[in-house]
Amino acid sequence: MRNISSVLGKLAKTMSISLMLLFAVTMSHAQDVKEGQTLFKSKCTTCHSVTKKVVGPALAGMTQRHDEEWLVKWIRNSQAMVAAGDPTAVKLFEENNNLVMTAFTDLSDDQIKNIIAYVEDEEAKAAQAPAGGSAEAGAAQSDDANTFMIVGLIAIVVLAVVIIIVLNRVIRTLEKVIANNQAAIEAAQARNEMITESRFAKFAQAFVKNKKLVGFTVLMLVAFLAVAGWNTLWNVGVHQGYEPVQPIKFSHQIHAGVNQIECQYCHGGAFKSKNASIPSANVCMNCHNTVTASDHYDGELSPEIAKIYRAVDYNPDTREYGNNPKPIQWVRVHNLPDFAYFNHSQHVVVAGVECQTCHGPVETMEEIYQYSPLTMKWCIDCHRTTEVNTDNAYYDQLIEAHEKLKKGEKMTAAMIGGLECGKCHY
Amino acid sequence: MTENMLAMNKKSFLGSVCAALALAAVISSCGDGKTRSTGWEFSRNMYDPIAFNPDQPNENFKNGITAQLPPTGTNPIGFERFEFANSLEEYERAGRELQSPLAVTKENLAKGDALFHTYCAVCHGKEGKGDGPITKERSVTDSRGTRSLETFPPPPSYQQSDAASSSRGGLMSELSDGKIYHTIYYGHNSMGSHASQLSPEERWQVVMYVHELQKK
Repeated sequence: MRNISSVLGKLAKTMSISLMLLFAVTMSHAQDVKEGQTLFKSKCTTCHSVTKKVVGPALAGMTQRHDEEWLVKWIRNSQAMVAAGDPTAVKLFEENNNLVMTAFTDLSDDQIKNIIAYVEDEEAKAAQAPAGGSAEAGAAQSDDANTFMIVGLIAIVVLAVVIIIVLNRVIRTLEKVIANNQAAIEAAQARNEMITESRFAKFAQAFVKNKKLVGFTVLMLVAFLAVAGWNTLWNVGVHQGYEPVQPIKFSHQIHAGVNQIECQYCHGGAFKSKNASIPSANVCMNCHNTVTASDHYDGELSPEIAKIYRAVDYNPDTREYGNNPKPIQWVRVHNLPDFAYFNHSQHVVVAGVECQTCHGPVETMEEIYQYSPLTMKWCIDCHRTTEVNTDNAYYDQLIEAHEKLKKGEKMTAAMIGGLECGKCHY
Repeated sequence: MTENMLAMNKKSFLGSVCAALALAAVISSCGDGKTRSTGWEFSRNMYDPIAFNPDQPNENFKNGITAQLPPTGTNPIGFERFEFANSLEEYERAGRELQSPLAVTKENLAKGDALFHTYCAVCHGKEGKGDGPITKERSVTDSRGTRSLETFPPPPSYQQSDAASSSRGGLMSELSDGKIYHTIYYGHNSMGSHASQLSPEERWQVVMYVHELQKK
């Protein structure tokens, strides 16, 4: 009896100890990963992702490729290792186009190990994800697709049944008509009243008889046509509300609205020139070399962003540009006739007019459209009421010139800009 | 009988008035004012330039583009060539040799502030802490529904108080004129080149403003 109880007691002891140990291990492990996550997010995400190549290589599998001690050394100061001639380090450095990884001399061994633990944890999750995650996503998507298809099928079937019923009735009616045709014609010829007996004919007859009503209807019709015609003629050449289909589904709502990218980040010409300018694709690539929107396309590159890559001949896998770029043919929305001169920088820089004053709430437009009419009247209306900002060297010179004139000094055309090339050669 | 007829006329009269009004209202309020077409145009040739616009297709050139690259080795008038290559050694050399030609003035700083706000703050944040709007969680609601947008990897902070290290050695708050200029010109890591968006003078103004942020 005693023996058994002592054996049981020992067993219980060992079990409880191992349980405690296990608990302690999992506890410490959980902490590691959490601290690692914080560190990873603050120090590493600028260049690294666990699952995909960003600036640096994808980190998944790094613990299989290198042992932990080596990794700790590498993460702390990779350049020192390269300089010391560590063959693995030199090879890795060269494989990644000699890109220098930031040295993190401020991190302790434990902290670096925490980061590694976090990467391993993420790696394990990512390894499960393709099986579980994408299947889930796929299931969710196919669920969506299924309901959509089922509803669509039901709709088609119902529509088909309705069409069949209608066609049947039409056929029956037509058969009746054919059967009665002869009789009907004869009857109609015999008695005209037969036709006038139909409701519509009766109504038409009553309508034609009522001269006032006829007059009123004609008046309404003329007024309507006149208004419609007047509007149409006034809007000849006015493209207000023009919203063409663009080659890329670019959303100003996302870029200027949600992302809060300044208008001039892309349309820098508005500061410097007559034209606000359409950004060249290298400006898109400033962000889209990293942003691929793959979260919404099952890990694949967004088809719209792929169009930018095609335009600049960029290979996202090697992160290299080819030499066969093809321009994106955006459709021009705002088109001032060539006989009117308009200068963006004069309005944006000198007058300080907000982009939205003329272009409307672009930051809410999913698709860009012309907000203002851009007619001469529209320009003039604004010019009549806008006060000039005279805090400007141009007006200093102007006032100076007037002072000289008042004093009776002579002034030549050259003194007031008569020698500027653009006065004649514009 | 006549009374009956009159009532009928009144009814049909009122009916047609209502119908006409409704029709007018419906037709005049059609759509949201947006259209895929430019509508009627009179003398379209007066809208189109005789010379080619830079963004127009052009069959006179092999690649079909009007805006051609200048021939290799040529410099536009007033163009300053940047004599440093895109490599770590050249970056370090720029850091040692390059100095801002601009004097620290109120105007230059104000310009630098405005330029930083337009071209840099979207990632680096208004205060250079690396917390610009695109580095944060955000979502959009549009015709495709509500969805979250990808966050851009946040750059390290410039501020002294954050003591963030640069990926090419040293602290972000100690980056010199030449190093910042080199980075604006070529870009680095996730940052692209901003040379096409900023003129040399503007780049120096931004550099000047970044130095202000480094002090924080």
